[in-house]
Amino acid sequence: MPRRSVRGGRRPQRAKPVREHRGEGVRGGAFRCVGCRLDVPFDAPGTAHRNHCPHCLASLHVDLRVPGDRAADCRGRMAPLSMSARPDGEWLVIHHCLACGDLSANRIAGDDNALALLRLAVRPLSDPTVPVRALMSL
Amino acid sequence: MSTHEHDRSPHDRGPRDRGPRDLSPHSRAATFTCVRCGLTLNEAAPDGARRDHCPSCLHSRHLTDHVDGGPSDCGGRMVPISVAVPRGGDWRVIHRCVRCDELTSTPIRGDDNQLVLMRLAVRPLAQPPFPLEAFGDL
Ligand SMILES: [Zn+2]
Ligand SMILES: [Zn+2]
Ligand SMILES: [Zn+2]
Ligand SMILES: [Zn+2]
Repeated sequence: MPRRSVRGGRRPQRAKPVREHRGEGVRGGAFRCVGCRLDVPFDAPGTAHRNHCPHCLASLHVDLRVPGDRAADCRGRMAPLSMSARPDGEWLVIHHCLACGDLSANRIAGDDNALALLRLAVRPLSDPTVPVRALMSL
Repeated sequence: MSTHEHDRSPHDRGPRDRGPRDLSPHSRAATFTCVRCGLTLNEAAPDGARRDHCPSCLHSRHLTDHVDGGPSDCGGRMVPISVAVPRGGDWRVIHRCVRCDELTSTPIRGDDNQLVLMRLAVRPLAQPPFPLEAFGDL
């Protein structure tokens, strides 16, 4: 599938500490997704660290206040909740921790499943209660 | 992050000292001023629920700490960044604080501007990271 580069010309990502390899499910340059059990390499095209599964977009709750600080000890499963777009157009997946309710916003990676991303982005439009009149006037 | 400016005024404290469920006759008459558009707003929405964001521009103020649920000292402006559609539930607005980067999720209210809500909901689709044509009639 043709895919435009997501990274070209975008602002640089803020510096992040090197990810610790710790705990179960983390071994030698890859982690096992808590959502779909896929073995996912840490290296992701265009990002300093991968924070969600490229296949199902699920994540693990390991950040507390600042994305990348890896300070949270919750380790709950974070499910994709909605899509957000930054002013420069870059997409951010809003994740919701199923264990503690915390929210986080995470940049998409170049190899994220495009259909999964799009399904998340159109979710408000597929809601049967969507106000059609407001939609038509956009 | 603490580098963001925030426009605080002594007349713009918001409902800092009241809990979210306190809808006594006194607080029902309370008002606050929108940090973004300056509208004077009744703290109680038409359905009686406590309002946390402006129904016109959807902006809010950071008054609750997400970790302990108590009052927050931040007071920063909270920008609506996404619309979440929980399964079988009402739409929720995801806010991000421009001062401390915290994310919150709060329910929409009956008099929220539907057009502004829809614009927020479809914003990611305006600048997709891949050509939408590839997906046909999703
Ligand atoms: Zn997965
Ligand atoms: Zn958690
Ligand atoms: Zn407003
Ligand atoms: Zn804040």
